[in-house]
Amino acid sequence: MTSLSSPPGDLAPPPEMRDTPLNWIKNNLFTPWYNGLITVVIALILGYFFYTFLTWSFTEAKWDVIPRNIQLFNVGRYPRSQYWRLWVLLGLICTLSGLSWGAIARNVAKLYSRNILIGIGCAVVVCLLFPVPLPNRLLLVGMTGLVVGFSWVGQQAGRKNPKFGIWVSSTWLLLFFIALWLIGGGLFLRPVSSNEWQGLMLTVLTAVVSIVICFPLGVLLALGRRSPLPIFKGLSIAYIELVRGVPLITLLFMGQVMIPLFLPDGMRPDRVIRAIVGLTLFSAAYLAENVRGGLQAVPRGQAEAASALGLSTPLVVILIVLPQALKAVIPAIVGQFISLFQDTTLLAIVGLVELLGISNSVLANPQFLGRFSEVYLYNGLLFWVFCYAMSASSRWVEKKVNTEH
Amino acid sequence: MTSQQPSTMSDQSANTSPEAVIVAKDVHKWYASNKFHVLRGVSLTVNKGEVVVVMGPSGSGKSTFIRTFNALEDYQKGTITIDGIELSHDLKNIDAIRREVGMVFQQFNLFPHLSVLQNVTLAPIWVRRKKKAEAEAIAMQLLEKVGILEQAKKFPGQLSGGQQQRVAIARALAMQPKIMLFDEPTSALDPEMVREVLDTMRSLAKEGMTMVCVTHEVGFAREVADRVVLMADGLLVEEATPKEFFNNPQHERSKQFLSQIL
Ligand SMILES: Nc1ncnc2c1ncn2[C@@H]1O[C@H](COP(=O)(O)OP(=O)(O)OP(=O)(O)O)[C@@H](O)[C@H]1O
Ligand SMILES: [Mg+2]
Repeated sequence: MTSLSSPPGDLAPPPEMRDTPLNWIKNNLFTPWYNGLITVVIALILGYFFYTFLTWSFTEAKWDVIPRNIQLFNVGRYPRSQYWRLWVLLGLICTLSGLSWGAIARNVAKLYSRNILIGIGCAVVVCLLFPVPLPNRLLLVGMTGLVVGFSWVGQQAGRKNPKFGIWVSSTWLLLFFIALWLIGGGLFLRPVSSNEWQGLMLTVLTAVVSIVICFPLGVLLALGRRSPLPIFKGLSIAYIELVRGVPLITLLFMGQVMIPLFLPDGMRPDRVIRAIVGLTLFSAAYLAENVRGGLQAVPRGQAEAASALGLSTPLVVILIVLPQALKAVIPAIVGQFISLFQDTTLLAIVGLVELLGISNSVLANPQFLGRFSEVYLYNGLLFWVFCYAMSASSRWVEKKVNTEH
Repeated sequence: MTSQQPSTMSDQSANTSPEAVIVAKDVHKWYASNKFHVLRGVSLTVNKGEVVVVMGPSGSGKSTFIRTFNALEDYQKGTITIDGIELSHDLKNIDAIRREVGMVFQQFNLFPHLSVLQNVTLAPIWVRRKKKAEAEAIAMQLLEKVGILEQAKKFPGQLSGGQQQRVAIARALAMQPKIMLFDEPTSALDPEMVREVLDTMRSLAKEGMTMVCVTHEVGFAREVADRVVLMADGLLVEEATPKEFFNNPQHERSKQFLSQIL
């Protein structure tokens, strides 16, 4: 405040901090000399692997196994005549994604920033290069268009109506049931048995359903574990510790074999449902432990302040404790979702034909014998795309909910 | 000491005037975890519009005592009546009482994931079932009163300690409580921010709010308090007007305590 303590006015501006790329390389990779040595050795090793991989993929690899089986990879033996239903579903998902994106970004001045435009461009290119027949590629581009177009609609609607966000979230819930109807049929649509739900579609379906169910279950278990009521506490601990002591594959086999034992004769739930039950019960236990960590991170004063205001215990948990707890463990929760997504590959072992299952049956085709590398690389790429998307959105959400600064 | 002091106290609380809004009689509490006898028969009566300052050495049970007034702590023996409602040991009337009693904590305890405005409107909307617009209008008035209207859209993490504590006061006031409890509201603040919070409390007292403040701010106690009580080892050892208490303390414990803080 006083002139005495104020800094002298002629302080020099900070020195230029920007580096030229060359300088950066010199400073970060080659100083001191042994760092330079390490850099060179690692570069050589990486270069060697990269070179070998590139030569292999351009000379030896026979990539035609992917485009020729692309329908199989995507949807397996789902009846061709019913593909339109999946397209409709994809269209709905894209529409709703667009609306949600717009609604979330309603306060962003420029929805289509440079980076976003680049992203859209990339998406269009990927759609155009995707190894499916030309009309389908155009349809895919159309899907991108849906996302982009409806994001604008969502932004406008979100600005006008503050309830729009709630509306969109409940539509997602509705879409979940519409999706099951579109895929499985019944009610005016030809039923498609779950034996014919296959490929990437089955992978995504089981993963999404399991994630959606295991999340609330995990939260409840975590709350139960901290409950003052011994019965809830005991049951939660018993469940969590039991499930965490068993490998997933055991649970999946038990799901396939044992669930029917517990049910009355003749009631034999669908194989896909049994698989989802196994995945869900397994992940919920791990998720509960992650959430518990978050609950412990919320200071006791938060719940006290909320109760002192007269909020009832359920409201204290829902409005004050859980939001903070979940926020603190977003990375761990999404990590759990990612491993759940990857764990769907185990379903191939219990006889479900998800992406890995269909890949194995493609590889069993004498025509494509021995194309392991190509097929598994393609699998890996797909998994990477999905998992990377999840972890990227987790980082985005984390930034979004950070209210510290 | 144990036999003498509480009896004089309960004499006072026995002649319960119709105005008494807090009547604590012979309150005993043991902490379940370590069987620690933290309150050993405390009695205190606070009348409507009174400002009572509670002082005492660290660990004497001041926080525990005032936290029994809104049932953040339970107690095992004695009675506490808040605004005519008895706070039973099994904490049955908890909701009715918490709506009437506001509390401000040493560590502010603002909800970091909610904006300042949301912090203040949360309880009116969810507990008093007010319309959002109505709650916000009241909140804005309160924020203006505590002098942080411009910060309404910010999050607690973006405010200074003094500003946060004033938001906490506004948040408690939004429930339109009859009684306000302050547990060392300025102890976590940098010295230059203490005044802005004390000023807010002072103006609240002037408006006639019934207040129980645990604080070591002697200036505040001298100027604002109607009574000062000294707590030591789970007992109220002295109860007097600020003038008597600071100039002519009666008890050894009070003299000892004052020699440390003055
Ligand atoms: N949850 C608890 N379990 C067991 N003992 C406790 C618990 N909380 C407080 N105590 C003990 O009870 C005594 C009184 O605590 P209290 O917080 O009421 O003191 P205080 O007068 O507010 O002190 P300070 O001025 O440091 O805030 C202390 O000795 C403390 O160690
Ligand atoms: Mg204290």
